[in-house]
Amino acid sequence: MFSYNLRLGLKSLRRTPGVAALMIGAIGLGVGVCVTTLTVWILMSSNPLEHKNDILYAVTMDNWDPLQPMYPRSPELPPNQVTYRDAMAVFESDIPTRKVVMRKASFVLDPAHAEGLKPFAIVARLATRDFFPMFDVPFLYGGPWDEDQDRAGAPVVVLSKDINRKVFGGEDSVGRTLQLDGKDYKVIGVLDEWAPMPKVYDLTTGAFDWPEEVFMPFEIGIRQELPSSGNVQCWRNQTLNTFGEFLQSDCVWIQFWAELPNRECVERFQTFIDNYAREQKKLGRFERPINNRLSRPDEWMKANEVVRDDNRVLVGLSFMFLAVCLLNMIGLLLAKFLGGAPVVGLRRALGASRGEIFKQHLVEVGLIGLGGGVAGIVIAALGLLGIRRMYENYDALTRLDVSMGLIALGLALLSGLLAGLYPTWRVCNTQPARYLKTQ
Amino acid sequence: MEIRPILSAMLRNKTGALLVGLQIALTLAVAANAVSIIMQRVDKMNRPTGTDAANTFFVQSFGFGPKYDHKATVRRDLDMIRALPGVVAAASISAVPLSNSGSSATFGAEADPRKVTIEANYFRADEQALDALGAKLAEGRFFTKEEVEFLEASTSRFAPVVVMTRDMAKALFGDEPALGKQVHDGLGQSATVVGIIDHMLGSWTDWDKLTRIVFVPEVQFGPIARYVVRAEPGMRDALMAEVEQRLSSSDFSRAITLVRSQEEFAARSYRADSRMVAFLGVIVALIFLVTALGIVGLASFHVGVRTKQIGTRRAVGARKIDIIRYFLVENLLLTIAGVAIGALLAFGFGQWLSKVYSLPPLSPIYIGGGILLLTVVGQLAVFVPALKAAAIPPAIATRTV
Repeated sequence: MFSYNLRLGLKSLRRTPGVAALMIGAIGLGVGVCVTTLTVWILMSSNPLEHKNDILYAVTMDNWDPLQPMYPRSPELPPNQVTYRDAMAVFESDIPTRKVVMRKASFVLDPAHAEGLKPFAIVARLATRDFFPMFDVPFLYGGPWDEDQDRAGAPVVVLSKDINRKVFGGEDSVGRTLQLDGKDYKVIGVLDEWAPMPKVYDLTTGAFDWPEEVFMPFEIGIRQELPSSGNVQCWRNQTLNTFGEFLQSDCVWIQFWAELPNRECVERFQTFIDNYAREQKKLGRFERPINNRLSRPDEWMKANEVVRDDNRVLVGLSFMFLAVCLLNMIGLLLAKFLGGAPVVGLRRALGASRGEIFKQHLVEVGLIGLGGGVAGIVIAALGLLGIRRMYENYDALTRLDVSMGLIALGLALLSGLLAGLYPTWRVCNTQPARYLKTQ
Repeated sequence: MEIRPILSAMLRNKTGALLVGLQIALTLAVAANAVSIIMQRVDKMNRPTGTDAANTFFVQSFGFGPKYDHKATVRRDLDMIRALPGVVAAASISAVPLSNSGSSATFGAEADPRKVTIEANYFRADEQALDALGAKLAEGRFFTKEEVEFLEASTSRFAPVVVMTRDMAKALFGDEPALGKQVHDGLGQSATVVGIIDHMLGSWTDWDKLTRIVFVPEVQFGPIARYVVRAEPGMRDALMAEVEQRLSSSDFSRAITLVRSQEEFAARSYRADSRMVAFLGVIVALIFLVTALGIVGLASFHVGVRTKQIGTRRAVGARKIDIIRYFLVENLLLTIAGVAIGALLAFGFGQWLSKVYSLPPLSPIYIGGGILLLTVVGQLAVFVPALKAAAIPPAIATRTV
């Protein structure tokens, strides 16, 4: 019976090829556009630290201006980075099982031995050694620096896979020397492919930027008095003529994360930083109400507005567009089915049950949905290709994956069937006698 | 006009009419709001920069190692660039306009540090910067060569003289003339305003204080040096290549990390906006296409179903033009009903959007434009099937289908 219905359905679609193409095209376009914007939205809002969402916390403290909050639009949020002096004081706590303070700096890399390469600028992440295990950074060769090197700011570096390919041709470069700003650094590790997206560990300069190219101990930047190449924000009227003054200032420029394995740890650490802030109040700092936050990765992404309002609006508009496409399809299907009502009347008069008629039309609707799904996949693939082109020059947001095909097909079938239900129901409820009379 | 019979025919097929009406309504709601957002973004990207953006480019040099001499490098680089044929002017500048990166600082019209609250884009630049940017001076003067201080390191010093944009002067002094006045920083230092720039855009494209700029006569400390170069019309791209080639082969204790046009900087900073325009443009185009094709399809279908009816009308005396008019009027009625609901939907949706973006609500112009466009598209879409209907011979009425 199914194959009979299938044949009837195909025949019916072939009878009005223009309308059939229009319906399939409309569903395909609606689904294609929705899947395209949904994919971008899902990618932007996906949390690469999902598996550690309940143990990692971004540490923030409100040391800002008593006269105005850091973010006038979200006055409840403290600055998204911390000062050096606060970072150092809180870093002393042994409540977190792991903790990292970090920042960015730029260097000139002089690949003296690599033929044909001129010196070029790179961005380095200067971090304490827990950075690697905390954010699950994968190593291809070697490993992170040890605790002594961490504390002493030893001249050691870990390279990204890309920079290792560029400078050392991709070989195991552990033990080799790299010249940065005219000083020698020893390579102790090379990373595997790694680009968390969004870049949750530091959202201050571009949530979809590529990770840094070189990693080295945080202390190096302090000893060499390297300026930050990330965001530095200051509010207090104080002179900043020397690096020492800068380190003691109320300027925020350091990212701080803590690993707190359970509720009790979180509460203890929260109390610890709150007490620290209260102590600082006595010194005339932290003049705002105490507002220190430990934010989980998903909360951190939200506070830093990783998903732009633009993306939300686009998803909303896409679904309205899909609704227009479905209305379109319902109208065409209704007209088509009712146009075929005399035939239905005849079949009913010859003994076909209402259920049979229903099944027959539903198969036809399913065919349209399936066709729309395939068209939707093709259109979504084209859309994503276009987007990839729009993003690839600048952002890491180019890895648009393929599992979206299934979503496209599902969305198309679902919307096709939903849209087909009403016309099918209508045609089943026609009185056979009415059509037989006019014959 | 034969509106009544058309209406009663529509009422007999309420669902069909409702579907088309709703489709038109949603199309209007989506299109009006999407076009409104597109126009806002296009206006934002096309704001006058106040500079000769089409002919300027920027160079960034990054010195390293013990042999690097920042002061000598900047002098030599600028001398070399200024001597190139096709260069109008070249200058040292601490940040790039519209690059979404730079410095800001806070100033006040009074010495009281608590009243130092006016934020501005902060540019350190030498005496040729105004010319090299192609900005227009409205009052006073720009810096002299003697005023320009070469900074050895990061400092909280405030220069003795500043030049600022008119918007910054207004923010500080209101309608009073700013020229000759003192402007104060939060550390009790002050400077004299010696020049006013008519208009210019600063560093961050999404900052509402983008047009407030303060220039100080200083050459930024090392090891990063930035230069702005203005080329004669048509010479920019050739000069960019030449400057890059010459600078990178002139000195091995620094790297040329950037040679990029002002237009490219702006394009990168506006990329979220230009992507939004592209996305929304596609959605608007497609929604009109789908709606128009839907009208064509539905009308064609009706022509098919009503063949006998139309033949009968023709047989009893209706002219071709009457048949065509029937379809046009029918579509017009549907459009009117649709846009009436659509206008409400569009306003509601616009309200939500304006909350999301904290922008003024949707302007009625876009709804009006949408109504006009939908009417034209609807009439055009229904015209082809209507012509087909008019071609039905009256004789068909005599046959049974």
